[in-house]
Amino acid sequence: MSENYKFDTLSLHAGHIPDKETGSRAVPIYQTTSYVFNSTEEAASLYNMEVGGHLYTRISNPTVAALEQRLASLEGGASALACSSGMAAMHLVVSAICSSGDHIVASSKMYGANINLLQHTMPRFGVNTDFVNPNDPEAIKSAIKPNTKLVFGEVIGNPGLDIMDVPKIAKICNSKNVPLVLDATFNTPYLMQPFKHGANIIVHSLTKWLGGHGIAIGGAIVNGGNFDWGDKDKFPTISGPHFALGGISFWEEFGPSALIAKIRAEGMYNFGPSLSPTNAFHLMQGIETLPLRMKKHIENTHSILDFLVNHEMVEWVKHPDLETHPDHEVAKRILPKGSGSIVAFGIKGGREAGKAFIESVQLASHLANVGDAKTLLIHPGSTTHSHLSSEAMKEGGLTDDMIRLSVGLEDINDITKDFERGFKAVKKLNK
Amino acid sequence: MIINFKGANTYLGTGGKSLDINKRTLCFLHGSGQNHLSFIQQARFFAYKGYSVIVPDMPAHGFSDGNPCKSIKENAEWINDLLVKLNLKDVVVIGHSQGCLVALELNRILKNSLEALIFVAGSNEIPVNQFLLDLSKENPQKASQMMVTWGHGVDGDMSINKWPGHSHYGEGNNIMCMNKPTALMYDLHSCNDYSDGIDAAKNIKVPALAVLAKNDQMTPLKSGLKFVELIKNCEIHILNCGHFLPSERPIELNSIINSFLSKLK
Ligand SMILES: Cc1ncc(COP(=O)(O)O)c(C=O)c1O
Repeated sequence: MSENYKFDTLSLHAGHIPDKETGSRAVPIYQTTSYVFNSTEEAASLYNMEVGGHLYTRISNPTVAALEQRLASLEGGASALACSSGMAAMHLVVSAICSSGDHIVASSKMYGANINLLQHTMPRFGVNTDFVNPNDPEAIKSAIKPNTKLVFGEVIGNPGLDIMDVPKIAKICNSKNVPLVLDATFNTPYLMQPFKHGANIIVHSLTKWLGGHGIAIGGAIVNGGNFDWGDKDKFPTISGPHFALGGISFWEEFGPSALIAKIRAEGMYNFGPSLSPTNAFHLMQGIETLPLRMKKHIENTHSILDFLVNHEMVEWVKHPDLETHPDHEVAKRILPKGSGSIVAFGIKGGREAGKAFIESVQLASHLANVGDAKTLLIHPGSTTHSHLSSEAMKEGGLTDDMIRLSVGLEDINDITKDFERGFKAVKKLNK
Repeated sequence: MIINFKGANTYLGTGGKSLDINKRTLCFLHGSGQNHLSFIQQARFFAYKGYSVIVPDMPAHGFSDGNPCKSIKENAEWINDLLVKLNLKDVVVIGHSQGCLVALELNRILKNSLEALIFVAGSNEIPVNQFLLDLSKENPQKASQMMVTWGHGVDGDMSINKWPGHSHYGEGNNIMCMNKPTALMYDLHSCNDYSDGIDAAKNIKVPALAVLAKNDQMTPLKSGLKFVELIKNCEIHILNCGHFLPSERPIELNSIINSFLSKLK
């Protein structure tokens, strides 16, 4: 029966068909907390996870489910679960897989909150992490210990833009029977589908390019369904008897979707970071145009790279699509459509120059987000990292002249004109 | 649960409840290249309704070790021996696809001593085209993928699912990938080689139910309808979905089976 619909089609349609009663073409917003049971038997069967359905919006909701099914479809995963933020998704995965005494191997070059969670918060609960260079598969291999329960990294690291060699690292994880969990926020399934390269679990901040319009915070976990959780000693709460539902084994009962089933029955039940149906609707509206937007994001990024590389006021430019980037070859191989629309660059004149640039541009917005349809900028040296010395920033892979740019969808000439305004202000300052 | 059966670790799904041989047992038989997980939404449902449920992973499928059975008859003998080993007497067999052929043969071995037979997306014959037979040997993963996409109705393409967050294709592919690589090839050959279905269907003397799929590309509705005509007094339902009826229309299927079971003695 299969039509084998392509990515662009699935972005618009997956997870929803108009219902017979109303014919609503758009996904309806089911703004409800709960669902009337037709009988006590039906209620019991939902509680017992006998069949699918909705009983309480903290656990699942029809609008949120449409988003989840769209994501599962776009990533080629077995199942997905959407939640209140990218960080909620990350915490749900870590807490579903790990218990006190377990160990994680993670990339040392990641988004600050991902690092903080693993470096400072999880150790309080007995889960410790060793951080390794994401570009060093051998280092990852030797960091994996018998109690390592997952390897975590970002496909495109934030903010350093390091690219993980996903196929190589997946092979290592596979040989050690450890799931590879990837934050794929910066690539989105449009640029790269990690399961095709052997990854096992994806976490997304939907807040960024997937939602794409800077209007709603959201996160998701997509489960590849390609990991064997059968080792009861290693993954006792997934394959062994779990306190929920009278000693259920999620692995035996749900197989490829064991992890998502467990997260619904434990994480969503007991921590409860649910996504609001209205935000699910907004995020899905964004996904409808993901292919179009990503194409333009990449087009504009490549134009901006040309502009910046050749600009007299620019000290350096960092983007994996540039030959000068240390991971350029890996990027070409695993991200052939382009490696995202975040660009880092340094302005001649250091910290003060960065500040002057940011304060002079008008079109680009100075704020702490990425992946909006609009162009965004931040100068870590005068904002998020202003309390750090130049030396301390260097240790974290940042420099005080660095600007992080999230390239938007505006007319490219308007963006470059705006940047010229910023550079003019820097020139004045340097005089 | 895992038991040692015929010298191999053998997995039986029991729907999250322990097996009670004093209750009526529903024995679910999976299709080609499938395993107990094709009945995810049936196993727990019926176990929690008070039935004993067994969903065996056939040898080399799912969590079961051992060598794959090489014919429908061999599959049926294996199931018969399993029922004997477990000392199960009051048994209703529910087959899906290839599981229907196995159920037909099992009924012959047991001389109509089952309590009832339920056929889901089944027929008395399942011819398999040469391309798929060859592909299942050369590249079972690719063959599985093709079966998953052919097998589902329109809901598969669009991941339309009452089970929140689930993708028919993603889940279906991974369920099939859990089996040993040779399992699919032997299953498909077993189906293709089976030719006793007409006699076996005519021989049915126990209550029978057939739930067929309108858009079934694997065991077409036309073939299913011819099949059920051969069975005396078979209750027939047709659902608007593809071949993977148990996961495409779980609630409707469960309800039909449930009311059929409630009418049995
Ligand atoms: C790579 C990456 N992962 C996760 C997050 C967290 O996402 P959220 O803000 O949706 O929690 C961010 C936010 O900036 C991010 O950049």
